Amino acid sequence: MGSQKRIAKELAELVESPPEGIVVKLADESNLYTWNVYMDGPEKSPYQNGKFLLNLSLPTEYPFKPPTVSFKTKIYHPNVTNDDKGSMCLGMLRADEWKPSSKILAVLQFARQLLAEPMPDDAVEGRIAEQFKNDHSRYEEVAKEWTRKYATL
Amino acid sequence: MSLSDLPWNHFDPINHFPTGQDSTSGFYPQHPHSSAFFDHGYSQLSNALYHPGSNFFFNMNTLSTAEMERFQKLSNEFQPDVQGPPVSTKQSSSVIAMEYANADPTFATKTNALAITHPLTRTMKGDGNCGWRAVAFGYFENLLNLQNLMQVDHELARIRALNALLNQTVQEEHLYEIFVDATEDVFNQIYDAIRNGIRDETFLVNAFNQEYSSSAIITHFRLLTSAWMKRHPSRYEAFLSMPLEQYCATRIDVVRTEIDEIGLQALVDGVIEGSGFAVEIMYLDRSEGETVTPHLLTPPPATGGTICLLYRPGHYDLLYPAEPTVNMEPVVNYQYAMTSDYAPWDQGALAFDVNSSLMTIPNLMMDPSFGMDPSPMPAAPPSPYRVSPPQEVYQPPPMHASPPMSIASPPPAPPRMSAPPPPMSSLPPRSSDGPQIRLNPLVMKPNLSHSLPVTTPFKNSSPYNQAHFQNQDFEPIHWEPSDSRK
Repeated sequence: MGSQKRIAKELAELVESPPEGIVVKLADESNLYTWNVYMDGPEKSPYQNGKFLLNLSLPTEYPFKPPTVSFKTKIYHPNVTNDDKGSMCLGMLRADEWKPSSKILAVLQFARQLLAEPMPDDAVEGRIAEQFKNDHSRYEEVAKEWTRKYATL
Repeated sequence: MSLSDLPWNHFDPINHFPTGQDSTSGFYPQHPHSSAFFDHGYSQLSNALYHPGSNFFFNMNTLSTAEMERFQKLSNEFQPDVQGPPVSTKQSSSVIAMEYANADPTFATKTNALAITHPLTRTMKGDGNCGWRAVAFGYFENLLNLQNLMQVDHELARIRALNALLNQTVQEEHLYEIFVDATEDVFNQIYDAIRNGIRDETFLVNAFNQEYSSSAIITHFRLLTSAWMKRHPSRYEAFLSMPLEQYCATRIDVVRTEIDEIGLQALVDGVIEGSGFAVEIMYLDRSEGETVTPHLLTPPPATGGTICLLYRPGHYDLLYPAEPTVNMEPVVNYQYAMTSDYAPWDQGALAFDVNSSLMTIPNLMMDPSFGMDPSPMPAAPPSPYRVSPPQEVYQPPPMHASPPMSIASPPPAPPRMSAPPPPMSSLPPRSSDGPQIRLNPLVMKPNLSHSLPVTTPFKNSSPYNQAHFQNQDFEPIHWEPSDSRK
């Protein structure tokens, strides 16, 4: 089916020329729909030097529905749920903003950009968002600590 | 994101409520698709927002932030609860009239008239894609109806050539090729169907009811529309309330955003018009008048075929105009065909006597023009009782599918017009009714007068139309020959 054809091509492109700070591979070689994404924390962010594992899951209706992205590595971030799901859902990842002509590369770059520039106004973790806005240095401190604790090999 | 950025497209109908108009119950009928769409959307919202005696829109500003957020969340999570297949089979338009039977009288009158002028309809699921789906399906259905392989080839080539547009906007082929593939697959199915003499459109309905191919085709058409708009910004920009790029990104490119007037015009301009098919919208609203308001989006068709849309606020369906002939058994059509030349018979009956030698040849004398006029039918005598072009007279209703004969949806396609007259031999064997050819004008007369109503300018108001009578609230429409049709 067309969906697999497209996913295969997008995967090939990402493996062939990986974007900065992002490495992808299939979680299971026999399943095109679940990817492991290894993301380097962006420089000049509290996530710098961290290696984050993300799970990218493609719906069977892809590309008519957006992929879902979740952090498997614990992360202190206003836009990532602070639970074992680590889910992230905003911007182009939302079903009503998703375009079938968007590509996975853009999704991954969007996710990494979000590490560099959180969007506290669209937060899922209100407390972290408050801190991000009102006590930024404390936010950075905790985020760095979590990065060291959970995202360093 | 603020409330002003609400994705209104989800419940577009609200935008169409005239100012000061509240949600009178029964204003919109219980429609299985479309009104479930707006009833649901509207009621859900109105439950939250509508305070009796106050105006929803004016009250927005006074709402607290918490309330605003709640509504925002409601609207974000809103999913219309719609039933039924994405594309239904053809059904009688009396269904629409029935839905409105207890609604505002304007709707009742208009839908009753609509069931006569457009006896068949095809319902599109109100899932946010209905307008896109209606146009795309109508396009392919017209192509199938033309039964012209060259035309299919030509259209396929034309649509493929539009990839050049996509290269400019989507840029990478692998991001759009699967959508184009799905569209091409439908072209191939149409090609095969025509080659095998299949006129039945069930395979098309199936293709559009299959989630993947349906989404892919609609996405293809969306991408083409968006690319077309970006290529011709000056034609659309002035009508948009936001920058064109943003409009395309939020209203065209995203899945399940209902098409609006500008998007529809762009879709027609960029994708459909090149086919020569016309696109006509019948607006069903509470405006003055007794019939729906037609609006042609294209120049009159060059190659035949019309995609006829029924628009109700927030929803599109397909309509099929009445066939120029009455849906009757073919044998009746013979008589009808003869009526086109009834005047000379009536006046002198000489034609028959003169040609008496020919009368013995089966199949021949049925067409009184045989041997006199190379056209399929003789030119009708100027008469106030005739409006349909002679060619149309021969069109059997689609249900009598007789493969060798070309049936074009009205108006007739040039290929048909230039083709030789439909072979009479393709009609049911004459032998059974051969002796019944009542060539004696004295015998013919009563029949002629009976068939006269179908040749009036109001050919669509055929009393033979079932839809006409099925509605309990049916009220006869009084036609005056001096009235001009609206």
